[in-house]
Amino acid sequence: MKPIALPTALTAALMASGAYAETRLKLVEVITSPERTQVLQELVDEYEAANEGVEVEIVSLPWGQAFEKLATMVAGGDIPDVVEMPERWLSLYAGADKLVNLEEHIAGWEHGDTLSDKTMDMARYAGGEAHMLPYGFYLRAMFYNKKLLDEAGVDAPPKTMEEFRQAAAAVSALDGKSGYCLRGGPGGLNAWVMMAAAMNGTNEFFTEDGQSRINEPGSVEGLQFLIDMYQDGNAPRDSVNWGFNEIVAGFYSGTCAFLDQDPDALIAVAERMPAEDFAVIPMPVGPSGKAFPTMGFVGWSIFNSTEHEDEAFDLVAHLSSPEANATWTKRVGVIPIHEGADEDPHFKTEQFAGWFETMESADYVPTIMPSYLEQFGYFADSIALDSSQEALLGQRSAQEIADEWAGFLTEQYAEWKSEQ
Amino acid sequence: MTSLTDTVVPGKPWARRSFYLSYMVEPYLYIGPALVLIGAVILFPLIFGISYSFQSIALLKPFDTGWVGFENYIDLWTDAKFWRAIENTAWWTFGSLAFQFSLGLGLALILNTAFPGKRLFQALVFLPWAVPTFLTALTFAWLFNPVIGPFPHWLAALGILDEPYNILGDPSLAMWGPILANIWFGVPFFAITLLAALQSIPGELYEAAEMDGASDWQCFAKITLPYLAPMITITVMLRTIWIANFADMIYVMTGGGPAGSTEILSSYVFTTAFRKLDFGYASAIAVALLFILLIYALILLVVRQKLVKV
Amino acid sequence: MSTLTQPSALRTTGKYAAIGFYLLFALFPIYWLVKIALTPDALIYSEGTRMIPSALTLENFAAVLQSDFLSYFANSLVVSLGAAAGTTLVAAGAGYCFSRFRFAGKKVIIALLLITQMFPLLMIIAPIYKIVASLGLLNSLVSLIVVYTAFNIPFATFLMQSFFDGIPEDLEEAAMMDGCTRFQALRKVVFPLTLPGLGATLGFVFTAAWSELLFALMLISKNDTMTFPVGLLTFVSKFSVDWGQMMAAGTLALIPSCLFFIFIQRYLVQGLTSGAVKG
Repeated sequence: MKPIALPTALTAALMASGAYAETRLKLVEVITSPERTQVLQELVDEYEAANEGVEVEIVSLPWGQAFEKLATMVAGGDIPDVVEMPERWLSLYAGADKLVNLEEHIAGWEHGDTLSDKTMDMARYAGGEAHMLPYGFYLRAMFYNKKLLDEAGVDAPPKTMEEFRQAAAAVSALDGKSGYCLRGGPGGLNAWVMMAAAMNGTNEFFTEDGQSRINEPGSVEGLQFLIDMYQDGNAPRDSVNWGFNEIVAGFYSGTCAFLDQDPDALIAVAERMPAEDFAVIPMPVGPSGKAFPTMGFVGWSIFNSTEHEDEAFDLVAHLSSPEANATWTKRVGVIPIHEGADEDPHFKTEQFAGWFETMESADYVPTIMPSYLEQFGYFADSIALDSSQEALLGQRSAQEIADEWAGFLTEQYAEWKSEQ
Repeated sequence: MTSLTDTVVPGKPWARRSFYLSYMVEPYLYIGPALVLIGAVILFPLIFGISYSFQSIALLKPFDTGWVGFENYIDLWTDAKFWRAIENTAWWTFGSLAFQFSLGLGLALILNTAFPGKRLFQALVFLPWAVPTFLTALTFAWLFNPVIGPFPHWLAALGILDEPYNILGDPSLAMWGPILANIWFGVPFFAITLLAALQSIPGELYEAAEMDGASDWQCFAKITLPYLAPMITITVMLRTIWIANFADMIYVMTGGGPAGSTEILSSYVFTTAFRKLDFGYASAIAVALLFILLIYALILLVVRQKLVKV
Repeated sequence: MSTLTQPSALRTTGKYAAIGFYLLFALFPIYWLVKIALTPDALIYSEGTRMIPSALTLENFAAVLQSDFLSYFANSLVVSLGAAAGTTLVAAGAGYCFSRFRFAGKKVIIALLLITQMFPLLMIIAPIYKIVASLGLLNSLVSLIVVYTAFNIPFATFLMQSFFDGIPEDLEEAAMMDGCTRFQALRKVVFPLTLPGLGATLGFVFTAAWSELLFALMLISKNDTMTFPVGLLTFVSKFSVDWGQMMAAGTLALIPSCLFFIFIQRYLVQGLTSGAVKG
């Protein structure tokens, strides 16, 4: 009796529980927050409802440790099917041949042709083939605190770098306040690159012969601009070690008046500051009349160790369909990927104006960081971080660090070129 | 199980019954599980870890490895960041240790006396050890931030700082932040162990000394310290080793910055392993740390031997 | 110290001043942690340096309790208790061994135990990850329990050895003379006396396992087996740190650890005292 009853009971239990799915997909999100996980879960639930027999497991990695966690998982063989891929990591994983080439999938996708041109450019950023399907863009713009500017007697928000410097100095003259929320700590490379490019009048990272342009006189002036900003007291004293959380907190707590950030910071700021207290303008332009706000992107990639490539792409496609993408981008604060999506009223508010002006006007040229260089992540997170802090603290000069950066980047570029 | 000797020694028949058993095998039965676990989980991977230091390993290209002999070590020798990390490790370790130890000793001395509410006091004052260390680090980071914490304002009021600012952003002062957090965390450890040692000192010794007219200081130096010496040696050695390897607080409070001024050897291992993804080099740094600590332990043990003889 | 002379008024004041200082020193950061947990979001930055916030709220705690936090908590409990039990058992054996026996290889083993403390555990994370992955034990609480047990054995052995040193050998030997094996003697006679020591070791290891972060982060990626330290990190998102909720979660996490430790710290001191004489 017993031997038969047990397996039967077991099978019955299995079938009844419905937990047994034919296909299981593992989706890893790396830019994790409780709200994002919730939206993601909703989108995934829609997908599961439309696809019987497929079950998706969402794994959420804490952002601060996501890079090493994912790297360890991949190196140890616990590889997900679909992963949220920031552009910074793309060349690393694509270069190591870990990602599926999505060109054909996208070509065969019904919504493939409504993708904006920029989207496909981004997708192909590392290695010329689409190893990811972007879900949105980040673009830098300048948040400013209207109240502080009024108090400091600044009539209009700054358009040029010089006006920006003056406005920051004016606010710093106020007791206990500072002009610029400088990100001297991790992740601050973007500001240095933007200032260098603005003063140098170009956003090219390399000359035709592959020489880095970061140590040209114009670029060095840009680096010096930020160093002066700190050393003249126009940025808070501890901002030398400030990371993302600190600068955003510094802004919404009213400690500093200017913050250069992407649309996702808008979410955090809008939650904690009344809308009439702040606004967003494009980045200030340099002597050439142009500014070069950095642009980043994130998307979905599929690891080529997946056993269910088609289902995985279906999941990605679902997440990237115009409706899903519209929902997702609004909630997470990125610029959507399909043409015409920016007509949505959500993006027409005053707060978003800064980014849209940036995209419309020819004075603002979006700049993508050279993350196709293999060691770029290490450059940004370690080399640039340490040396820029040393420069801010007066231990090294702008020219010195520019030369160090140029040396490293030129080398990396040569390596990359030779592998093309 | 044959017994090698059958002689009956009065008073301890069993102990002599099977010399072979009790000397060779029985101990290993008791310590077996511990050895197996430690061997499998720590020592075996350690050998792998050490072997990585002789290889070139990029985490995402596991097929790109190759034996490079001592190349990682040679690079290490010429790496300025490495030497600065050693210096920082020394500051970190001894700075934390000196204060933890003295404050812990003071606390132990107090707890060795009687006063009302002592049991409650003892329970409360040991709490810092029970707080998860990264929470401690977060709280202290918070406390040092002038916008949201009182410390900079107190320091300015005391004249130590000229104006309230976050010392964690100042390369010359940043290390003291994590050190303070570590001191807070470590005082209970010393207090508990030293209190235990203090309580084992026979009270008659003090009474006799008092009757002979010894001063407080003489009591302390001639009776207390010598009795504490063995416990002090062990706990100081152990705690030093733990602190040297303990990068959590630094990582959370300063991230090794600014400009590498708080980067210690074990946090440097972390950055190299997980930012640069260079496990070979990271292992070399870790081996260097292991080596330094081995030498330290040996020196301490030798010193202890000498003291015991005296 | 001595009972012969009356302490002077100066000494007493000094002593009570010191007591006050230590109490303040120990409790202030904990107070601050709880204070942030009770502060409403809007006031966290604007009233940052105040000792007592102008408004208190329990919404942070409510939010935490409604999230996955309870499951993280439960996982942590399982892992910490498991590791504590495992370590205490194994370390009891090892500690007893060191206390009672002299044997060849004793010094070598002690040296090995010491060496395990001397390097950053980071160094072995990659090999351990591979081993655990190849055993198919990734994302399992068992793997954490085993790993934590191994990490804590050296110090726990030291503790247990001290406790056993405080129990005279004559007891076992008397029992053995009456015909028990050593193991039976251990169980019947010595064991009841070591209960404080066992309790102390349990508490110590529980506290250590409770707050371990690195291996929990690396070996577990599934949400339903995450432990709470990793869970706390999810409050640090790319956008902002939800300080109020994070500290609320932290406060909740403090409770078991502190309670346990308060309970056993007396036994730690007691047990170490008897063994301390041998040094």
